[in-house]
Amino acid sequence: MSAYFTDFLHYDFLLYALLGTIFLSLTCGLISPLIIARKNAFMGAAISHSTLLGLAISLSLFQATQALPVFLSTLLITIFLTLFLAYSTFRQKLPNDSLIGIFYTSSMALGIIIHTLFAKDQSDLLSFLFGNILLLTKEDLYLSFIILIITILVILIPMKKWLFLTFDEEGAITSGIRAQVFHYAFFVLLAFLIVTSIKLAGTVLVETLLLVPGFFALKFSTNIRQTFAISTIFSVVFAVIGIVLANAFGLPSGATLAVVLFGALILSLLVKRVYNLLR
Amino acid sequence: MSETILRAEKISFSYDGYDPILKDISFSLKRGESLGVLGPNGGGKSTLMKIIAGLLKPSSGEIFFNEKPVSEFKGYPFHLFSYVPQSSELNPTMPVKVFEFLDFSMSLYKIKNPKLIEELLEIVGISHKKNSLLSKLSGGEKQRVLIARAMIQKPQLLLLDEPTKGLDSKGQDQLLALIENIKKRDGTAVMIVDHNINQIIKSCQNILCLNRNYHWHDHKDFLTKNILEDIYHCEFEHLLIHEKDLGTDHPHNHHFCEHDHDMIPAPISHPFIRRKP
Repeated sequence: MSAYFTDFLHYDFLLYALLGTIFLSLTCGLISPLIIARKNAFMGAAISHSTLLGLAISLSLFQATQALPVFLSTLLITIFLTLFLAYSTFRQKLPNDSLIGIFYTSSMALGIIIHTLFAKDQSDLLSFLFGNILLLTKEDLYLSFIILIITILVILIPMKKWLFLTFDEEGAITSGIRAQVFHYAFFVLLAFLIVTSIKLAGTVLVETLLLVPGFFALKFSTNIRQTFAISTIFSVVFAVIGIVLANAFGLPSGATLAVVLFGALILSLLVKRVYNLLR
Repeated sequence: MSETILRAEKISFSYDGYDPILKDISFSLKRGESLGVLGPNGGGKSTLMKIIAGLLKPSSGEIFFNEKPVSEFKGYPFHLFSYVPQSSELNPTMPVKVFEFLDFSMSLYKIKNPKLIEELLEIVGISHKKNSLLSKLSGGEKQRVLIARAMIQKPQLLLLDEPTKGLDSKGQDQLLALIENIKKRDGTAVMIVDHNINQIIKSCQNILCLNRNYHWHDHKDFLTKNILEDIYHCEFEHLLIHEKDLGTDHPHNHHFCEHDHDMIPAPISHPFIRRKP
């Protein structure tokens, strides 16, 4: 049993996967409460699904083994699509969910068609859809560390402004906070994070990492500091457990992460319920 | 003579492809005075407030702060006023405590006075709620926190959008009395949208009656019950306990700005309830 853990120290690619998972789950844990409180869960799903279009175009231009060109081209296309979504959803009177729904199903469909017609290697798509830790390279590790640093700078330093905007958007705007800048920055950061997490969690399942930690934290915390601390700790602990299990049983990493995080959430909610009943 | 802090000239607003919500609205407000905005639901009161607060751009017209047009400021002059939204517009998802919420503004304005939060909470009468979660407060308490937040930057003008919404009549009177005290204490001009007609007429020096395309803004003494009934499209029987604060009826409704009253079509089946048969 202990071999499942020691493997991560003996094999470089598994060590990269482990460290990458820690960096990405830390980042997701930091941003997750804001995604939920800002009611951007569906927007996150739209960005993650639309990465498939960027990915399909990139895999038509480059081999899947050319990690950096594939990453950069997917990132650029996804940011372009995200900016369009961000522009279409900023302080609109009409509900955004229908537009987001139409956008992400269409971009995903287009991605599948482009991949089917033009991809240099047809076999890779499943790994990108559901995650595969064997795809993680040293470059991915660096990228996941960079996105962690960027997230700390963009989220933690102006944290009070984020919270002000989240809690009372109109009050924040009339206090001089430039909501539009924060709106775009948030979604570009989210696009960057999602594209970086594709190999770990996959385009379809990365949303679990973005939503479950924040949801868990907001259910259990009683103040702001606690919210972000709980979300980050929950995210790292269960993402690492997920990645170890994925390696141990040869499962897709994204699916294993999703099940582990969801299982932990349900279990904790049940424990809380029982505790409240017994109290 | 006190100076004019806010002036709006022929403000119009409509969403793309829709009928205008506001048309040629003009009014002014002097330092230390208050302007009450009355009118039925959907009459454009909150839209007008959001335009003044810089949250919406008017389709046409100009707003002046201290007699300087907004277009001549570098950015919108948010430093001159504080906007108090309806407390129902607050997002309750985050567990934000009262002092943390006020601290957001303190850090934004780089105010270091550690006692200011307690002083402001004392003024609005909820100092004992300093460590409470905002989501756990009642509607009236939330509104008091929002007013405390608005006072942090010592604004020249307070914009209050339906501060008494959802409060019982006692809560409404207490909150409006608090606003009156703040106005007197700091000499702040106040623009307030509210449905408490009696209290607004009693406490505001200026009244703006608004119902979409037509509005009334004139000396308060000229405001009559008939004008209010026209604006609301209903007749008030027992409502105006401060009727003595209103002027006597005028033979014509020529106080409706820029509009010939005869040209205003009588609504065929208006949505407002007529209280008299």
